[in-house]
Amino acid sequence: MKDQVRALREDFDRELKAAGDASALQALRDRYLGRKAGAITALMKALGALGPAERRVAGQELNELKTHVESGLDAARDRAASDSTAQRLARERLDITLPGRRPPHGRRHPLTAAREDLEDIFLAMGYEIFDGPEVEDDYHCFEALNMPADHPARDMQDTFYLAEGGLLLRTHTSTGQIRYMLSNPHPPDVRIICPGKVYRRDDDITHSPMFQQIEGLVVGKGITLGDLKGTIEAFLHALFGAQFPVRFRPSYFPYTEPSVEVDLGCVVCGGKGCRVCKQTGWLEIMGSGMVHPAVFEAVNARLGRVVYDPEEVTGFAFGLGIERVAMVRHGIDNIRLFYENDLRFLEQFPG
Amino acid sequence: MKVPIGWLREFVDFTAEVPRLADDLTLAGLAVDGIEGKGDDAVLDLDVTTNRVDCMNVYGVAREVSVLYGSALRPLPVDIREEGPPASGAWTIDVEAPELCPRFCGRVLDVRVGPSPAWLRGRLEQVGVRPIDNVVDLTNYVMIEMGQPMHAFDLARMPEARIVVRWARPGEKLLTLDGQERTLQGRIGVIGAARGALGLAGVMGGASSEVSDSTRTVALEAAYWDPPSIRRAAKALGLHTEASHRFERGADPEAPPVALARLAHLLAKIGAGTARPGLIDRYVAPRPRTRVSLRPGRITSVLGAPVAVSESRRILSGLGFAVGEPSEAWTVDVPTWRGDVTREIDLVEEIARHHGLGRIPSTIPPSARVEGLRPTQRRDRKVRELLAGAGLIEVITYSFVSVDGGPGPAPPLLRLANPLSAEQAVLRPSTVFPGLLSALRTNLRQGRHDVRLFELGRVFGLDRAFPEAAPEELRLGLLLAGRAPGHWSAAARAVDFYDVKGLVELLAIRFGVPRPDFQPLAGPSWDAVLHPNQSAQLAPLRPGRPTEYVGLLHPDLVARLELKEAPLVAELDPARFDLGASIRVRALDRFPAVERDVAVVVEAAVPAEDVLAEIRRAAGPLLREVQVVDKYDRPPVPAGRVSLTVALAYQDPARTLTGDEVQSSVDAIVAALRARGWDIRGE
Ligand SMILES: [Zn+2]
Repeated sequence: MKDQVRALREDFDRELKAAGDASALQALRDRYLGRKAGAITALMKALGALGPAERRVAGQELNELKTHVESGLDAARDRAASDSTAQRLARERLDITLPGRRPPHGRRHPLTAAREDLEDIFLAMGYEIFDGPEVEDDYHCFEALNMPADHPARDMQDTFYLAEGGLLLRTHTSTGQIRYMLSNPHPPDVRIICPGKVYRRDDDITHSPMFQQIEGLVVGKGITLGDLKGTIEAFLHALFGAQFPVRFRPSYFPYTEPSVEVDLGCVVCGGKGCRVCKQTGWLEIMGSGMVHPAVFEAVNARLGRVVYDPEEVTGFAFGLGIERVAMVRHGIDNIRLFYENDLRFLEQFPG
Repeated sequence: MKVPIGWLREFVDFTAEVPRLADDLTLAGLAVDGIEGKGDDAVLDLDVTTNRVDCMNVYGVAREVSVLYGSALRPLPVDIREEGPPASGAWTIDVEAPELCPRFCGRVLDVRVGPSPAWLRGRLEQVGVRPIDNVVDLTNYVMIEMGQPMHAFDLARMPEARIVVRWARPGEKLLTLDGQERTLQGRIGVIGAARGALGLAGVMGGASSEVSDSTRTVALEAAYWDPPSIRRAAKALGLHTEASHRFERGADPEAPPVALARLAHLLAKIGAGTARPGLIDRYVAPRPRTRVSLRPGRITSVLGAPVAVSESRRILSGLGFAVGEPSEAWTVDVPTWRGDVTREIDLVEEIARHHGLGRIPSTIPPSARVEGLRPTQRRDRKVRELLAGAGLIEVITYSFVSVDGGPGPAPPLLRLANPLSAEQAVLRPSTVFPGLLSALRTNLRQGRHDVRLFELGRVFGLDRAFPEAAPEELRLGLLLAGRAPGHWSAAARAVDFYDVKGLVELLAIRFGVPRPDFQPLAGPSWDAVLHPNQSAQLAPLRPGRPTEYVGLLHPDLVARLELKEAPLVAELDPARFDLGASIRVRALDRFPAVERDVAVVVEAAVPAEDVLAEIRRAAGPLLREVQVVDKYDRPPVPAGRVSLTVALAYQDPARTLTGDEVQSSVDAIVAALRARGWDIRGE
């Protein structure tokens, strides 16, 4: 019996080494441990034929063999299982350099992006955004803005007129000043911006017959030219960065007095002078000024009472072209690109 | 306007280098656009704002320089020695239209016409004026120097040596100096003669009395014209000259006699002639002098910082204003060359620009109110974000389009009276037709096939009340063409109706508003515009709202536009997405849902929505959700019919459902569907 156990052990160890996969291991398990035909099971049954002392020793040896076989088979099974996971993972390899499955990606128009950036700066300063109509009348576009009929300044804004109704397309968003003051929910205080499309009969590389502006208006007691300066500086620094200087110089607009042109240190050359700033180191960026008393008077006249007494309230207004901001930002030199809707242009912006 | 430095130095001394002078002028409101040359030979190119006609001449700029640097302004030399018989005996001037010509002055000069001396020719060439002869050159010289346009007539060629300033007679003809024969219509002023006209008042002289080599005696005029009259005439004639440019902006009514004397002075100086005794001065409608009251406190309240009283007074008097005694309100007499200054605020500006805007401290006014985006503004931003997020690219097309309008019930179109071209003559009634379609064509021409665009902008011509409500409204246009966004892992597929419908559904879901009801196109206005069986119109938000649609372009229109494939388009009213009611949260389900599928075979023309409606009617209260999950139309489904697989979900918030309850609802559904004559598959 002792020799049989030793021989069986040697056989098992040799066969276990040779067993390649899970099915070979299962066959091995059946051959040694099977309830009906297992070799160890057969020897266990044969124990009954031995004497008591011999049976005790042989039983101990057989139990040791059984444990040896079981643990050997279990270890081999675990090894085989882990080998097949590794093989499966290897089979499942993807080419991680192929493009991903992107959710569709569109874009906002660069002028929308610029406009919303401008709006956000003024929203943060407590401004309200006011939308006025694009189809306007002479009163809101010119007359109330101190540009009566025959005023030479009307030549600067070649106007599109509608065939009927005495209407026109607004030439500037300054119309928003008048519309807001006439419908102001908390007169005489005003703090608004009016973004939107405007129209002039011009079409060349620097002019589009349709373009976009943002007008701003602040009215109240004690509003000063110093407030105009501080507000515009804060706005331009927020938009372009505080490293660019801002310069104010007297100018002329019929609806402001004093009128102020605002220059920004050239963002291209940093002020040294280049083609973009025509060697001046400055970029003309926006117009502004203190609201002309005649504008308040025109609004009062239409309201039929003195709501904006020029002796009591003052204000400042400003206006800038949204295309101008986008052109300075992105180095664009042809305004018409914004309206040609060529995807080769639009897709350059992250949107 | 060109200003030679050497010419400036005749009237004012300054030590600043030219680039520094240019900066100082710019910061005082006279923008220097460029500098040609160096030192005393330099010429400044000034961009003078339209209100500052007083600076459209060398002397006016010299006055600004004198205030900038606190340097005295030298008077113009105008002394003359008169010779010969009195001027008034040689020349008769009558002003018949004082409303046109408040002041008309003349002098008679005996001249020797010839070339100008080199210095005079040099000055004119510096400012870009071609020298002609000494008489004409001097009129140009004096205009550039002091801003007063003048005209020299050959007295011998002036019929009866007489001038009548009057309005043109209808149809009156005149050959102007530019060689054009003009027929005058409307209210145009002329310098008339005994017979016919000699020149256009304030705009251009005539050829008939032009000075020539043989001229011996010159009738020289300088006038002050009514600005609106000159402006209207120049506009009507389409003729804009140096003279009209100045007169229409309001010249100096005191300048004509001075300019005549200045010219006579220079004429004698170059040895080309002398003036006869006497100035002929027809000041028929004297201009009122402007006096303005200025409160020093007002300067502070407008600028936000005080300016020293002495500084304010120095600036004003340097600019020619006569300032009264210091008090609460100074009396300020405005010089005659400053027609642009009419009220207190104008004086504040004069002080501010010479004090220096840079010296005013910057402040930010405190904000008293909380503001933010209005609901519609927030909506518009969200629409753009969502559509960009869904793969569409935003475009902005022109608001003016060709005369060809869009589809749908045609609104009254708004037309431009003065369009740039016939292609831009009408305000667009739609964002799609033709805006988005032309944007598609632009990109197809570039070889792009897969194009997904949207535009959110105003359309015009809707039937709105004038003039209180504007005839314009916001619209959202969508356009999809080519293939759906794909990946190398799957076969490409063309976009179809359900892609664009899905975008509309996505917007409704993301705004928390009810999903729109898609209905078949109705009415003849869609014929040959949209595919009748692959398009829908949306149930209107409210009666009377404009039509909104989703669909495939009609093949006829596709052919007419020379497109290879039909794009899908949609036009929507963004008001449809006005943010929905605030959300009330429902308790989370504590008991499981039971799911069942039913496959029903119907005629191909039956809308799925009809099947779903029948199911909802028959199901009873436990049915939570029902949706189509598959559509199948190949064998064994008979031809002309389709099989729709519908997923049903049952749930009760208070308990677990039994199998029998669910089965009896499914049985009721099956019975109801069969009652409609539809078959149930696999049941
Ligand atoms: Zn630069």
